[in-house]
Amino acid sequence: MTQYIVRRVIQAIPVLFLISVVSFVLMMQAPGGPAAQFNQNPHISPAQINKWLADWCLVRQPTVMDTVREYLGWLGVWNCTGGSFLSAHGLPNFLPAFLGGGTNGILHGDFGYSIETGQPVLQMILARLPATLILMGTAFVLWATIAILAGVLAAVKRYSFFDQSVTFVSYVFYSLPTFWLGLILIFIFGVTLRWFPVQGIVNVRNTPAPFATSAYWAAFAANPLPYLYDIGAHLVLPVVTLIAVSIAGDSRFVRSAMLDSLHQDYVRTARAKGISERQVIVRHAFRNAMLPILTNLALEIAFLFSGAIVTETVFSWPGMGRLYYDGVNARDYFLLMGILLIGSVLVVVMNLVADIAYAIADPRIRYD
Amino acid sequence: MAIYPDPTALSGGPATTAAGPTPADVAQADADVEVALESLGQWQLAWRRFRKHRMAMVGLGFFVFMVLVAIFGPIIVPYDPLNIPGSTIPGGMPPSLAHPFGTDNDGRDVFAMVVNGARISVAIGGISMLIAGIVGVGVGAIAGYFGGWVDNVLMRVVDTFFAIPLLFVILVAARFFGEGQVTSLILIFGLLSWPIIARLVRASFLSLRESDFVEAARAVGVKDARITFRHILPNAIGPVIVAMTLIMASNIVLEAFVSYLNFGISPDQTSWGNALANAQSALGLGNWWWAFFPGMAIAITVMAINFVGDGLRDALDPRTRL
Repeated sequence: MTQYIVRRVIQAIPVLFLISVVSFVLMMQAPGGPAAQFNQNPHISPAQINKWLADWCLVRQPTVMDTVREYLGWLGVWNCTGGSFLSAHGLPNFLPAFLGGGTNGILHGDFGYSIETGQPVLQMILARLPATLILMGTAFVLWATIAILAGVLAAVKRYSFFDQSVTFVSYVFYSLPTFWLGLILIFIFGVTLRWFPVQGIVNVRNTPAPFATSAYWAAFAANPLPYLYDIGAHLVLPVVTLIAVSIAGDSRFVRSAMLDSLHQDYVRTARAKGISERQVIVRHAFRNAMLPILTNLALEIAFLFSGAIVTETVFSWPGMGRLYYDGVNARDYFLLMGILLIGSVLVVVMNLVADIAYAIADPRIRYD
Repeated sequence: MAIYPDPTALSGGPATTAAGPTPADVAQADADVEVALESLGQWQLAWRRFRKHRMAMVGLGFFVFMVLVAIFGPIIVPYDPLNIPGSTIPGGMPPSLAHPFGTDNDGRDVFAMVVNGARISVAIGGISMLIAGIVGVGVGAIAGYFGGWVDNVLMRVVDTFFAIPLLFVILVAARFFGEGQVTSLILIFGLLSWPIIARLVRASFLSLRESDFVEAARAVGVKDARITFRHILPNAIGPVIVAMTLIMASNIVLEAFVSYLNFGISPDQTSWGNALANAQSALGLGNWWWAFFPGMAIAITVMAINFVGDGLRDALDPRTRL
């Protein structure tokens, strides 16, 4: 088992490396490029631009070697200000700063500065994190509960009216474009019925400060109920949009996993022993069907992350997806690289956790 | 290879039976059909199974209809989707006899936009699916065939594709490299959606490589290339075709989303996503028809493709028999 875990972690390293290369190449090779974007910004003086470029090993009209150096500098392996692989302390630059390494590059948590706002990229991403976590967390819990309940019930009452309706509804929803579903929900529940707000995460008129600032949290802590209600009302439509399409696919998945499990010999044995049907379903069939379902759940977190960009753009939700969309519009390269990299690493880690959890949970499977 | 069954084969000619059955003998006739089935090819069998799947046939019918609309629709519809006559009512006119799907803010006919949009949307979905299929089968076959370090390198590349949130990459690629052109968007969608197929093909290769019939072919001295193309690929192709239908459906939706954000098809062309681009502002006015009809076109087409994919899954799985 230990060997398996170690091997999976080692396998993840080249993937992480390729991800960083892809993120870098995608942004640096884009027409225009970061240097061109600097020149557009009237708030930055030429001296600042030159220091900026030097800090990130960026060269105007780079050769191939310059590009490699840019990449290594962005990664934090190359010391841009010193111009070598060694840090100012004479030790390898990629080491953590407290061990005598450098301070530049993503390996040292330095994702650069936003070209648009001049803020550190990491700080911008972290500021948007709460909104995305609230959206994804709520969506994930609801989605897992509904998909599992609907799937299990449909499998237990196979070919019943309920099963057929679940199948039909899943087919319809599975084919809907997520963003379009959002638009239709906005029209029905936001514009026509006026039940739910359709934009943002809080009602800015009723809050003392923008969401996720310290002033906001202070007011929130003093009297949380109206603030929770406010966020809850804003959550309804984005969450429904985010989960409707994936619930459709996953209730089908749960149903087939559950059907598989219901046809196993041990379920028949359990029934033959005279255990109540409820016990058979919950303790024998469902517990075994949980294995593939749990793996699927872990993998779907990555899917939710992608789905967040759709929902957040349609509903102007101030999360990472919206930040990314704004970044694409503004060609804010360092910001885009940062979000892309953090998102991908999140997916790799989730996959790793899912694989290892599966290996631990299912003793029948041997990996060697 | 013909997908349509040879009618003479279906009628059950006495191919191998020694004693010719009398037509009146029902039981004998059944046995005769059984014998005739054996002589049907892989594709003929698949088509017979597919035809029994009612929803799949409905889906196929609708999809063919959409392709016909995409080809001939723009010739028949009297309005030009790019002609901007200026709206007589702010926010566009609701559906009427002259404009069955209403008009938008600029007075453009939404029905014309939906019909013309079918061309680009279906083309992007279809051609990017073919690119994904070719690249995916190629990469998967190379990885599965050579194994070893080639396999290792290619599969790490595939892993990378799976790890990067695809939508994020597509947005950047479409905005920075797409330049609003159909061909570049087709390439972007095609070249970003092949990894799932590569994974499927490689998995089939790994299992089929050890199978008895490949062993037998190798034993009689069949060349490796022939084993790959004649023995392994045809057996691996079922899941690939099903995955390709899913890729087509998802690429149509992705194109719509990217164009809706104004990162995709440029405004001087019409696609379903493009038609949705300004719809959100109109919703606030209560003008639902801009957003509704192009979106419905996407949803119904995608549903039709998904039904076809479902039918193909049943038809091409060699374990299911008639």
